[in-house]
Amino acid sequence: MVRFENVGMRYGPGPEVLRDVTFQLEPGSFTFLTGPSGAGKSTLLKLMYLAEPPSRGLISLFGEDLATTKRSAFPALRRRIGVVFQDFRLLAHLSAFDNVALPLRLAGGKQDNYARDVEELLGWVGLGDRLNAVPPTLSGGEQQRVAIARAVVARPDLLLADEPTGNVDPDIGQRLIRLFGELNRLGTTVLIATHDRGLIERNRARELRLVDGRLVELRTQRA
Amino acid sequence: MSDELKRTRSRILPRDKGAAPLDVMIAVMAFLATLALGASLLADRQAESWRAGLADRITVQILTPEHETPALTLESETQGALNILRGTDGIVAVTPMSQQDATKLVEPWLGADAMVKDLPLPQLIDATIQPGVRIDIPALTAKIKAAAPDSNVDDHTHWISRLQNLANTVIWSAYAILALIAIATAATVSFATRAGLDAHHDIVELLHSMGARSGFIARAFEWHYFISTLAASAVGAGLATVGFLAAGGLEFAGVEPVPFLPPLSLHSSELAWLVAVPLVSGLIAWATARLSVLAALREIY
Repeated sequence: MVRFENVGMRYGPGPEVLRDVTFQLEPGSFTFLTGPSGAGKSTLLKLMYLAEPPSRGLISLFGEDLATTKRSAFPALRRRIGVVFQDFRLLAHLSAFDNVALPLRLAGGKQDNYARDVEELLGWVGLGDRLNAVPPTLSGGEQQRVAIARAVVARPDLLLADEPTGNVDPDIGQRLIRLFGELNRLGTTVLIATHDRGLIERNRARELRLVDGRLVELRTQRA
Repeated sequence: MSDELKRTRSRILPRDKGAAPLDVMIAVMAFLATLALGASLLADRQAESWRAGLADRITVQILTPEHETPALTLESETQGALNILRGTDGIVAVTPMSQQDATKLVEPWLGADAMVKDLPLPQLIDATIQPGVRIDIPALTAKIKAAAPDSNVDDHTHWISRLQNLANTVIWSAYAILALIAIATAATVSFATRAGLDAHHDIVELLHSMGARSGFIARAFEWHYFISTLAASAVGAGLATVGFLAAGGLEFAGVEPVPFLPPLSLHSSELAWLVAVPLVSGLIAWATARLSVLAALREIY
């Protein structure tokens, strides 16, 4: 599903943020990515959702070597990835419904066909009564739930989440992790970057840890 | 309780705040473009009317002989020229101008004193050629000259050609102004699109990272600038059209037009052309926005 080989990443002439990162995510796997702030977790995610090219090394996504894949094929690869951004990145002028529906709209879907699914999903994350609310009127936790619903609505092959439970109370956090687990059981490969040790301990999955730009594997399989 | 969903499909880009200066600039450019287009249409029509008014006409001017003899008088030369003109195939009407009409012609310059009546005014003969018939003017001139040595034959080609040149200059000047305005519109919209891309960089980046094709993102910008330019230029073109209609209204109400200038009122078929200004402005904005966005997206990974 995802393969990194000796990947290095630096921004401009600065020091390397990631060094010789090598790992693989199997299809249908569930993985936590941990590490202190500034260790390079967000940069690693950026490489995975094709926001940046690596400075060196080889990245393979869905069996495609990115170095040899045509740029025109990238949008189709990106549409197979759902991303929960740490800063949510919701469109402030669009309603919760329209924000969640965005991936389906980008894939060419018609509102009549996806409206029910989007409404159901928003109901599932506890926002069934806020369909028309725009993000500035939502709390941080509500915005995060909208961002998560947007990431999962198109049932992506790969789900990447950057601190997805950082702004919600533990009950909602656990409910959201159950949503990820449900999606994972349906075949989606999930990678969650988090600081939350409690969350990791409750969901004993594979754990990769980034320290000073280098990746170490702490736990390799589900308990 | 579930919130009732609003069923309208939302715009990907928010409405720009602070876009009024751009709209005003586009409206002003559309106003000027409409004036230039209207001027070119008027010049074209005027050139055609000049051509039609003089093209099938010959004017023969006979001066009073310096040394009149019983055999060679103004009257005898006039009669000789009239006979030749009337005997020429293709000439359908020959009208000698009366001395009264000739006096009226010079009245604006010389007045209507008794002295003017004593002036040896030339005899003018107006001949009308059947439309579509070509007459050998040099041969006709030679024949008339033989019968009336003090005559001049004018088929107006020199005058028509100069008027045509003048009208062409006006028309091409108007086209040049239109082209300059189109370039300025394209540059303005390109600048505004770039500024819009910067202002909405977060949206563009998000759509891009979610797998939106460049065409999808470009369409959001194209549509946005097409509509705003269409609306702004419709206002500018509308104001200019009102100006032309008002000029036509004044002429209809009997206000004297400016001497030597053609009437400023446009016909309905010509007014229809003015609709092209906002449409073309919108298309320029559409194309410029699309090219700008695609160029900017090519720079993103």
